[in-house]
Amino acid sequence: MRLQLQNFTKCFDGTPVIEGLDLTVEDGEMLALLGPSGCGKSTTLFSICGIYRADGGRIMFGDRDVSDLPSQKRNVGVVFQNYALYPHLTVEENIAFPLTVQKPRPSKSEIAREVRAIAELIHIENLLERRPAQLSGGQQQRVALARALVRKPDVLLLDEPLANLDAKLRLEMRSEIRRIQLETGITAILVTHDQVEAMSMCDRVAIMDKGEILQIASPTEMYRNPVNKFVAGFLGNPPITFLEGHTATEGRFAMDQGLFLPLPSRLRDLPAGQRISLGLRPEHFGSTGTAQASGRIVFVEPQGREMLFDVEAAPGVVLRSVQPVRDDVGVGDEVTWGVDVDRMLAFDMDGQTL
Amino acid sequence: MTKNFAIFPLIILLTIVSLPIAVMYGFLILDTFTDAPPGELWPDRFTLAHWRFLWDPSVVGNVWKAAGNSLILAVSIIVIVVPISSLAGYAVSRLNLPFRRFFLAGIMVMHAFPAVTLLIGVFFVLKFTGLYNTMIGVILVKGSLMLPFGIWIMKGFYDAVPWEIEMAGVQDGASRLTVFRRLILPQVKPGLVALSVFAFLDGWGEYLLPRILAPGSDMEVLSVFLNELVQADQLGYDFNLFKSVGVFYTLPVIILFVLFQNRLMNIFGGGTKG
Amino acid sequence: MSSSADLNTGVARKSRRSDRRRPRISGLGLALLAPALFLLTLFFFAPVVLTGIFAFTDLSTSTGIGRGQYVVTPNLLRQLGDQGLTEDDATAIASVSITIDEAGIARATEGGVDPDFLSEIADRFAGESFDDPRAFSRELRGLPNAPRRPRELTQTAEYFETSVLNTRFDNPEALTAQLADVAPDVSSDTIAWIVDRSYTGARFTTANFERLATQKETLRLIGNTALYVAATLGLFNVGLGLFLAIVLFYTPKPVTSFYSTLWLLPRITPLVLYAIMWKWFTWEDGFLPIVAEQFGLPSFNYMKGSVVTAWMTMISLNGFIGASFGLILFSGALRAIPMQQLWASEVDGANRWQQVRRIILPQMRWPILFVTSYQTLSLLSSYEQIWLTTNGGPGRTTTVWALEAFTTALSNYTGNLQYGLGAAMALVLVVVGLVLSIIYLRLFKFGELVSRPKIEL
Repeated sequence: MRLQLQNFTKCFDGTPVIEGLDLTVEDGEMLALLGPSGCGKSTTLFSICGIYRADGGRIMFGDRDVSDLPSQKRNVGVVFQNYALYPHLTVEENIAFPLTVQKPRPSKSEIAREVRAIAELIHIENLLERRPAQLSGGQQQRVALARALVRKPDVLLLDEPLANLDAKLRLEMRSEIRRIQLETGITAILVTHDQVEAMSMCDRVAIMDKGEILQIASPTEMYRNPVNKFVAGFLGNPPITFLEGHTATEGRFAMDQGLFLPLPSRLRDLPAGQRISLGLRPEHFGSTGTAQASGRIVFVEPQGREMLFDVEAAPGVVLRSVQPVRDDVGVGDEVTWGVDVDRMLAFDMDGQTL
Repeated sequence: MTKNFAIFPLIILLTIVSLPIAVMYGFLILDTFTDAPPGELWPDRFTLAHWRFLWDPSVVGNVWKAAGNSLILAVSIIVIVVPISSLAGYAVSRLNLPFRRFFLAGIMVMHAFPAVTLLIGVFFVLKFTGLYNTMIGVILVKGSLMLPFGIWIMKGFYDAVPWEIEMAGVQDGASRLTVFRRLILPQVKPGLVALSVFAFLDGWGEYLLPRILAPGSDMEVLSVFLNELVQADQLGYDFNLFKSVGVFYTLPVIILFVLFQNRLMNIFGGGTKG
Repeated sequence: MSSSADLNTGVARKSRRSDRRRPRISGLGLALLAPALFLLTLFFFAPVVLTGIFAFTDLSTSTGIGRGQYVVTPNLLRQLGDQGLTEDDATAIASVSITIDEAGIARATEGGVDPDFLSEIADRFAGESFDDPRAFSRELRGLPNAPRRPRELTQTAEYFETSVLNTRFDNPEALTAQLADVAPDVSSDTIAWIVDRSYTGARFTTANFERLATQKETLRLIGNTALYVAATLGLFNVGLGLFLAIVLFYTPKPVTSFYSTLWLLPRITPLVLYAIMWKWFTWEDGFLPIVAEQFGLPSFNYMKGSVVTAWMTMISLNGFIGASFGLILFSGALRAIPMQQLWASEVDGANRWQQVRRIILPQMRWPILFVTSYQTLSLLSSYEQIWLTTNGGPGRTTTVWALEAFTTALSNYTGNLQYGLGAAMALVLVVVGLVLSIIYLRLFKFGELVSRPKIEL
């Protein structure tokens, strides 16, 4: 089911934290709300499921305006960060709970059948007799997912579902949640502060900051063409390097520290003397490139499959490079590596992408 | 614990300070099974005679009936305090109420404020409602005076239940009442148990209210029974008898205390604060 | 122009927002709260209000609770005589008149007077009045069926006497009419005065507070209360409690749990038994006097025998209960001190006393303040223990304010319970208690305990 927020506003104690937000999630789509903590993503999620009241605007599920409906009537499945399993009930009773409070109440055999079906989908058939305290984090996560899905909600909301898992389980659950979402075809929203999670699990990512959605796009698109400096800086690990300076003659960029780089070809027409900043991702600085930059290696961080180099091109200018493992250079070496100039990002003084 | 310091002198000091209590409670038990020569402390013979009151009503009257009455009083107080506190505690902990802050402040004040001061006013209320001199009146008063404590304790237990449980319940389509009944209430069972035990102990030990508010009631409770015994001169201050009846009276308290010590300690310590 | 448009939309938005912002009031919440509210209103709020109201009355056993009546008694006339009622007026009001009427016959029949005699009286004197009882008796003696004995005759005559004295009237008008009838010469002002004074029920007055403000006893009560609260609190609830908590912090676990339990016993022991134990401990032939005797020390009933020992007994028996409160709270606070701090101080070479003084005590400031404030309130108003033990004696030397209020209103041996005065004394405690609790609420940051519900819909 298609979900829409129209001009949605939410205040706490009279102060708006989100104002006039518009968002559409298409039927069957999985969308990530990505942003730093305090950006309003959880507030948005809680407003969609009805725990918070919207202070303005409309929330639409398909053609249905649910803005003033209580949670119980919205038919939303939610997976909470700490799973919120009912500690006094078994896994089976936990999953069955949403069905037992339905009116009219389905028959026992019907409930049992539904529970079994969802348990099979989520691969927890063998845990049904246990209590939440006897489950690992990943298992609890699955149970929470099963409970959220068992009554076939219109929308599935996931609030930082992987935050409490260790690294290996996180990887496993990432693909599991995506598999289940695809199999059920449910419209889903994932709230997370982890860009990898957002980009690997979702069809589209909405990046939020200070109560506003800055950009909605597919992960690749957003990575390649961020709308502004914040998005560019937020996405990418290791992060992008920003270089401050101004346009110079002959299509060059003059850094404040006195170094020069060619401008990306699409920006050659900019008048000279305009202050801009360039963004250089680590993977675009390395052995190949259309321009060269040289400096001294000040730091090397081996990451197994890749290596991360910090190259000081001038005092205060450190360029970062990610390359396949190589042991021909080390700290203190002077290197001259290529810069993929045309894939550099450029921003004006307001942070907007040029 | 730090082992760096000698503890022996401390234990000596501690023992000296604690001596009066140790003596009182030691002799409390000892004297119920023994007799001492007149004017002396140390007993010289073992006897069960002080316990005769248990089966011989001619000694002090029917102690079992008084115990039954105390039981009725204590259980009735549980019946009032626990359900009402657990409902109201949930409401003030979790639900949107008008004047919620004001009400909570009121509960706090009533909780900190010693209710015995109100006895005179309560006396008038009972006179006007016709409940004076009835056990029902005593039960209602005692139960009500415990309510601020009970509500505050239960609020504490509800506050400790994660909000997400409540949110998840609502998301699963359950009404707030269903959430309360099926999801939240089971989480505060330890609180319900502790409050019940506490209400029982308080009701069982209560002397003032039955004595003042229902002096003419047929239902004489054990506390009043025991004190009447002490005040009746003809027994000539047979402290061994008083103590035996007293130990009989206190036995349920000790048993409950031993069974629920840890939970009660939480209430004793944390309950008073918040 | 554009700015005014912005302003408009801003206003519109804001108003709509405030419309929807207020969280919905939970009907369920009100329903769940209702039983508690009902009982609290009845047994907390109403008593406070009634205490406030009756503090300004002279309600007592003699006035009775409820509406009074109007009755002139010989006693009242004597009192009024002292306050300027003339002898003549008093005599006139007290005068007896004799009327032979239906009511008198009925009274006499009920009283068992010979019916024949009565019918003679009715026949002979119906409707007549006599001013002088002796004249009437003389007339009666002349009747054929008159009894022989003079006493019987006088008794019969008395059935026909009517006097305003000792007659109860439900409203002032009836009494006024009757007085005017009986004593027409008494001025109407005097009658109004007498009627007013003849009311037996409680009346509104500030006399209770005037009395509390002027009587010497008040100062002594305040002094006693202050001494009792300060000594119990300082020596036991805080002093001993802190001492026990710190010592038990250092002792090995079995010792700690033994002594914690021992000190908790006074708190859980039913009060009546606890009082008995103290009587055994302090009365003659009890533990302490016997021990004292063996050491050649003065031996008597320490609980009631002398003022000093009575005070010591009263303070310790309350203090032993209070010490466990401090012990539990302070122990909790001690356990919250990070162990690293203590280890560090030991590594730095601090001895135990320095450790307690420099590290532990400074962190006990808030718990001490809490115990002090909380227990001040409860000690101020507690009297049950004192009532069951020294009962304020010897004499009234250990009587505290709360005990005095309680005995004045609800339990004394003279039998005249002065509800009004007791309520006035209790009201003082209620006001002090309310003010203190509100101060404590501020002190202990009540606001932090009250977070808003998180589910808004």
